[in-house]
Amino acid sequence: MTKVGIPRSLFYYYYGPLWQDFFDGLKIPYVVSPNTNQEIVNNGLALANDEMCLSLKNYLGHIDYLKDKCDLILIPRISNFKKNNQTCSNFWAIYDIVKNLFPIKLLHYNIDLDKKDTLKKGLYKIGKELNKNKWQIKKAYKYAIIKEKKRVKKNHIISLNKLKSTKTKVLIVGHPYNIYDEMIGKDILKYLNKNNVELIYSDKFNPQITAPLSKKISKDLYFKYSKENLGSIVYSAKNINGIIFISSFPCAPDSIANELAMRKIDIPYLNLVIDDSSSFTGLETRLESFLDMLGGKLND
Amino acid sequence: MKNCYLGVDIGSISTKGVIIDEDNNVITSSYIWTEGNPVHAVKKLLNILKEKLPNNYQLKGIGTTGSARKLIGLMLKANIVKNEITAHAIGTLNFYPNIRTILEIGGQDSKIILIKNGIITNYAMNTLCAAGTGSFLSSQAKRLGVKVEEFGDYALKSKNPVKIAARCTVFAESDLVHKAGVGYLKEDIIAGLCKSVVLNYLNNIGKGKKIIGPIIFQGGVSKNKGVVKYFKEVLKEDIIVDPNGHLMGAIGIAILAKRNKTGHNYSLEINNLKFVTKAFECNKCPNVCEILKIYRNDELVDSWGSKCGKY
Repeated sequence: MTKVGIPRSLFYYYYGPLWQDFFDGLKIPYVVSPNTNQEIVNNGLALANDEMCLSLKNYLGHIDYLKDKCDLILIPRISNFKKNNQTCSNFWAIYDIVKNLFPIKLLHYNIDLDKKDTLKKGLYKIGKELNKNKWQIKKAYKYAIIKEKKRVKKNHIISLNKLKSTKTKVLIVGHPYNIYDEMIGKDILKYLNKNNVELIYSDKFNPQITAPLSKKISKDLYFKYSKENLGSIVYSAKNINGIIFISSFPCAPDSIANELAMRKIDIPYLNLVIDDSSSFTGLETRLESFLDMLGGKLND
Repeated sequence: MKNCYLGVDIGSISTKGVIIDEDNNVITSSYIWTEGNPVHAVKKLLNILKEKLPNNYQLKGIGTTGSARKLIGLMLKANIVKNEITAHAIGTLNFYPNIRTILEIGGQDSKIILIKNGIITNYAMNTLCAAGTGSFLSSQAKRLGVKVEEFGDYALKSKNPVKIAARCTVFAESDLVHKAGVGYLKEDIIAGLCKSVVLNYLNNIGKGKKIIGPIIFQGGVSKNKGVVKYFKEVLKEDIIVDPNGHLMGAIGIAILAKRNKTGHNYSLEINNLKFVTKAFECNKCPNVCEILKIYRNDELVDSWGSKCGKY
């Protein structure tokens, strides 16, 4: 039976659980690559060109890991969610990059709402290519979508409860594929958790609520994920003590979003840009002093 | 016997030590080069301080800050180890309670700290790039055949500073080669360098920050009169440079060591201490972490660097 490979990187952090539910529904076996480790980073570096961001380099490392462990690798091309809701141009290109770099079969769909290519259409296309009939696909799709909606709702409620916490509250802003990646943001989160900070994540709010709020910071921004990031800041600004913006070097959309947030929001703010050669020592200095500042430990 | 407290600030280029009394007055201080060996530098530092310290004082607490703070903290059994941003702010606030902005340019890092009513409200520190810091100036000084300590005097002589790219050390250097090649005066080039440090700082660390007076300028580069002059010119504000500016981090951490009540009786005698770091790569998983093991008198006191917490 065909086995699908899912790289635990980039899109996985947006669609991973939904894909897994969908494949479970179709009874298709799949394999997810492990958390990013140094070997994956090194392999990605060797394959990537130097203009690519760290997250994209890591993605190639994950593909490299999966290439002989499955029959097909799932790589969507996600280009836009209607006008003024673009994604990073790397998200459009990654399918073609991988196709050119690796002699492996790919499983692929487009999300391009300008051309009416929806997620539903995409998943139906995949189902068909995996030799499933219409009824099986319909059932699996429904199952996956209902679970996804429940997840979004649950995450939003958890985040709202966290905003009521009495601990020091820090909003972690950034792309989920950076925040939760073992080699990018995980060490930062571990450090903050160890220091008894309540962490609220920008991607754990319902994007339909947060994204429109980004207009308060900028009306011209046209990156969907940046809008959600900035929206989450506006949404939670009154209930948090500080903001930490994590991005990978050199992310273009983040460089705009970061500048906007830094200038327009009046909350203690820390920007951390992670490179493949970043050591945690430097980050620790910045995090420790940031927490000192939030804790007001200086005026005793 | 009166109580006193030691603060040590181990930076990339220089190592600073102060001893303060119960009222935060500096009893004695010392400033030496790190020369790439913090352990050796601190031993030297303590020997100097030991000789300068009057006999009627008992050391009651030790604090360490700066890039080698963790290592030296272990070595001296410090009762507090803190980052340099907090230490600098505390040290400065002790002398200038009304200060609003601290500009700091050190050997390899630069930072800005904004303060309101004695509380830090925001700060920034260079992340991926160390352009426009002290190391940049000293490497250019070597190229020009001038002592970096004399940079300020040269810069003040200049009437027409050259324009030098302020973004990147590498580009600045190629600009410099070009300007020297077409025959600009040395003082004009040096003044241009000092100005590029200021512009680089304000465009990188200072961007988006409201810089309000009173402003104090610290770190090794604050000893350079040229840089101070251009900060005044660009910010259109008066810039305070404290003669003890380079010691603020050490004073701050000494104050923190005093506030932190866990201190006990310490001795400044560490000449016989054997303090060694051994490094190896762990090959048990694909992460291949670089593990550091710290030995104090042949006894393992700590190990750092593992992602999984095995060591």
